[in-house]
Amino acid sequence: MIRINCPYCGEREHSEFTYGEDATRTTPDNDAPMEEWNKFVYERDNPAGEHIEYWHHAFGCRAWLKVQRNTITHDISWVGLPHENPEAAS
Amino acid sequence: MSGFRHGAGRLGDAQLNFTFDGKPMLARAGDTVASALLANGVEVVGRSFKYHRPRGVTSSGPEEAGALVTIGAGGKADPNARATMEPVTQGLEVFSQNCFPSPKFDLMSVNGLAGAILPGSLFSAGFYYKTFMWPAALWYKFYEPSIRAAAGMGVPPKVADPDIYDRIQMFCDVAVVGGGSAGLSAALSASQSGLRVVIFDEHNDLGGQLLNEANSDQNADLEQWRKDTIAALEAADNVTVLARAVCWGRFDGNMLAAHQSVDGKVRQNYIKVQAKKIIIAAGAIERPLVFGNNDKPNVMLASAARRMLNHYGTATGKMLAVFTNNDSAYQTAFDYSDAGIKVSAVVDSRQYPSEALVDGCMSRGITLHTQAVVTEAKGWQAVRSIEIADLAANGQSVSNRRRVACDVLAHSGGWTPQVQMAAHGGKPPIYDKTIAAFVVGDQAPDTYSVGAAEGENGLLAGVAQALEAAKAACAELGGTAGAVTAPPQDRDGATNIVPLWSVPAKGKQLVDIQHDVTAADVVQSHSEGFVSVEHLKRYTTLGMANDQGRTSNVNALAIMAECRGVSIAEAGTTRFRAPIAPVSMGGFAGREIGKHFKPVRRTPMQEWHEKAGAVFVQAGMYMRPQYYPQAGETIDDAYERETEHVRKKVGICDVTSLGKIEIVGPDAAEFLDRVYINMFSTLKVGKARYGVMLREDGIVYDDGTTSRFAEDRFFMTTTTAKAGPVMAYLERCLEIDWPELKVRVSSVSERWGAMAVAGPDARATLTAAFPSVDFSNEAFPFMGVVHAEHNGAKLVILRISFSGEMAYEVYATSEHATDIWQTVVDAGQAYDIVPYGLETLGALRIEKGHVTGAELDGRVTLGDVHMDGMASKKKWFVGKNLKQREGMVHPDRPQLVGLKSVDPRTPISTGSILVTEANATAGADKQGWVSSMTYSPELGSFIALGFLRGGKDRIGERIYAAYPVKGKNVEVEVVSNHFVDPTNDRVKG
Ligand SMILES: [Zn+2]
Repeated sequence: MIRINCPYCGEREHSEFTYGEDATRTTPDNDAPMEEWNKFVYERDNPAGEHIEYWHHAFGCRAWLKVQRNTITHDISWVGLPHENPEAAS
Repeated sequence: MSGFRHGAGRLGDAQLNFTFDGKPMLARAGDTVASALLANGVEVVGRSFKYHRPRGVTSSGPEEAGALVTIGAGGKADPNARATMEPVTQGLEVFSQNCFPSPKFDLMSVNGLAGAILPGSLFSAGFYYKTFMWPAALWYKFYEPSIRAAAGMGVPPKVADPDIYDRIQMFCDVAVVGGGSAGLSAALSASQSGLRVVIFDEHNDLGGQLLNEANSDQNADLEQWRKDTIAALEAADNVTVLARAVCWGRFDGNMLAAHQSVDGKVRQNYIKVQAKKIIIAAGAIERPLVFGNNDKPNVMLASAARRMLNHYGTATGKMLAVFTNNDSAYQTAFDYSDAGIKVSAVVDSRQYPSEALVDGCMSRGITLHTQAVVTEAKGWQAVRSIEIADLAANGQSVSNRRRVACDVLAHSGGWTPQVQMAAHGGKPPIYDKTIAAFVVGDQAPDTYSVGAAEGENGLLAGVAQALEAAKAACAELGGTAGAVTAPPQDRDGATNIVPLWSVPAKGKQLVDIQHDVTAADVVQSHSEGFVSVEHLKRYTTLGMANDQGRTSNVNALAIMAECRGVSIAEAGTTRFRAPIAPVSMGGFAGREIGKHFKPVRRTPMQEWHEKAGAVFVQAGMYMRPQYYPQAGETIDDAYERETEHVRKKVGICDVTSLGKIEIVGPDAAEFLDRVYINMFSTLKVGKARYGVMLREDGIVYDDGTTSRFAEDRFFMTTTTAKAGPVMAYLERCLEIDWPELKVRVSSVSERWGAMAVAGPDARATLTAAFPSVDFSNEAFPFMGVVHAEHNGAKLVILRISFSGEMAYEVYATSEHATDIWQTVVDAGQAYDIVPYGLETLGALRIEKGHVTGAELDGRVTLGDVHMDGMASKKKWFVGKNLKQREGMVHPDRPQLVGLKSVDPRTPISTGSILVTEANATAGADKQGWVSSMTYSPELGSFIALGFLRGGKDRIGERIYAAYPVKGKNVEVEVVSNHFVDPTNDRVKG
């Protein structure tokens, strides 16, 4: 069972959380061309290894968190707030 | 009859009664069903899966593949239980399986004959894929029922399981899997650091292979060590000893899953243990040898025959023979001989067993056949003799066949370390030639496998490994493992095995005894191209039985490697997956069954509805009144009456289940402008507006009404189904996408009870109910919002309408909601107010052409539901960019239409497809579907909402709503979705 260390609540089982989405994408400008929006909405990398993603502590403090998870081992190596990044924290 | 009681073993004195197929039998406290059946002379316990061959006890542990029985009767029946793992309790009912009329005489055993006469046809390798391929129609009618009848296992009970199951969550520093000498030592040593320790063992008695040892004076110190170690663990406050708990899987984050059988009110616990370090001391399982009729009752693993005698006080026969390719089985012969039971032969496939073993045989007068094999077990039901032969030096042929009398054959093909739990950590096991089995290669993080599980069969050597592991694990956790006493005797672990994967002789040689997979099947699988071990497994179903390949895997893949001419290491092993043992579904469900399956949400007015005789329906988690029947009314009578009444007079409906979200802050209006397609910054304080949200891909997400309470304060309602998701979505937008917006969102769904009051007399009713509020059209126009107080209740009243009638939604603080509801009902008496339920709510909104979740199903665009005009051109909003894609605005898209039965009394089934042909058949041009239907009292006709290709321009057309599965074909007229009051005058009245 994956355990996630919520900055507000401490370490909790992942069943308290909901997976949100890929956190490596950048939202296009409002007036960006449709192709760019299409790419943003539909195209995802599927990396084997470290991945940065959003999780929602739905059955806890309800914060949205940024999480670094290894997609092969499921090891969670970093948890932060949405505007933070693993590099900055370490 | 061959087994019998012989000595006390380690069992208690208490006598227990149990039955086998109704026949009374005696057991002693501590017996398993297997040991007790053997002690009662039972040889044939059941019949095999495919060939209905007689089967008996083959082991003394979790690897049991022969003695599968049903425990208990009625709802408590537990089919396919391994007799070796089930303790006998007083009055236990045990039943044989897969045999008719009895295990000894079984009519279906003709399957075995058919297999012999027509080799490679019925039930041979891949039979599932070949025999029943064609014609497909016969599958359901003939093949499947016949296979089920012929190749059945235990029968699952048809009534609900009355037992209680629990789920337990545990945390520990060090988890030890396996309670043999290594596991016990590791746990005790780790516990002395003060860290929290959990130790599992799937048996009732801890000790592992120490339990195979004779309970004799000679071994008294060893037995005392076992008892002392267990007692010390049980006495320690920081140790949890879980006996009868099978650890069946290891998951992310060092989580171990186990099912524990318990006696008492609860039958099983499903235990999840979150461990920091895991020591795997799961031991090793003895492998069978592969020779003719090796599945015959009274052919059993040598270690099992030994444990039956030494631990359970059950001699498995009156004359024992032993067949082995390694040293370990000799001890079984010696123990039986020393206990006064005749041993007719030891057959060793090796040329030169050690001098000590040869001497051991000689001193006991046991005939030793070296470089010899058992070619076949013989006997009508169970073993009565064996045919043995000399093995050629190259191992490819046999000669000099001869008979040896015996009534039990104990065999050993070597030992297989239990690597599953270590392999679940992600590392594939590697082949170790010395023990001719797979061991753990790289240890997964935080994992230490030790002792026989790591291929170390020596007693003291295994314990030493375990203590090393405990020391390392504790040190990493900042603790110091303690020194513990080593066992006072040693047992040599060297097996000196010379592999013998199958005996080169004819006859049915079983590899997987439970699934009736033979050595010939493995060879056939190879010749048909299924050569990878993963394909072999699926083609033959090998290793998929209860024992999950514990006894069969290594033999089968060794035979496959031989066929392929590659090394066993190269052939590799199949991937180990959880669960490694059969586990009950009850444990997973725990107490969340029946009405406890999920929580039930009730509105504040629940009791009122109950008293009013409402019939309830579950909508999401909510219990909602579906309708309020009067005497003699059917559901149709009731909703038609309620609907008509609302249109003519007034009704009241509980709408508490709507999602309610408060949105507060200086940027609240800007925020709503971004999430809704229409403008909210222009909404005046004291006004409400209908809003629609899109997803990023431009598909309609949700709709609802949002009111402005103050410049910086809005009150949003969502659909019942989307209350949770929309809340999470708004939070995401604010925290991730637009952190610069100064806005807070809070779910206030539980804060407010809500009721819709609808109908021409709604204003008069509410005026009477709340005299302090001015309900006049001027003071309180359509889409107006009023705050009020009534007898301590805070009220928010919205003049909005879902029904199309003049209507208000009254929100009252939850604790006052029932009082407010009653106030409205009392005031409405003068206007014959009726409560109405979900059916009527649906009928009214379909008549009006409003959409709900049935229409907004995650596939429709704004254009599909004629709302494109609502989308603001002056601002950006979520979904704006992609809603304009070609496919999203195509004129041929299915669009929302109304449908009216040409024959008004013919209902239009929801889910019907829309076609233009009168009698649609497969392949018809499907032009749309029906999403909602109702009877409309106002129109005197059945009506429906649906989506029709290019539907906007097809008003007036006559088409068909087809439901081929039910043979329905209803002629319908395409009309506007606004059936009632299309000019929307009533709401403004
Ligand atoms: Zn949290």
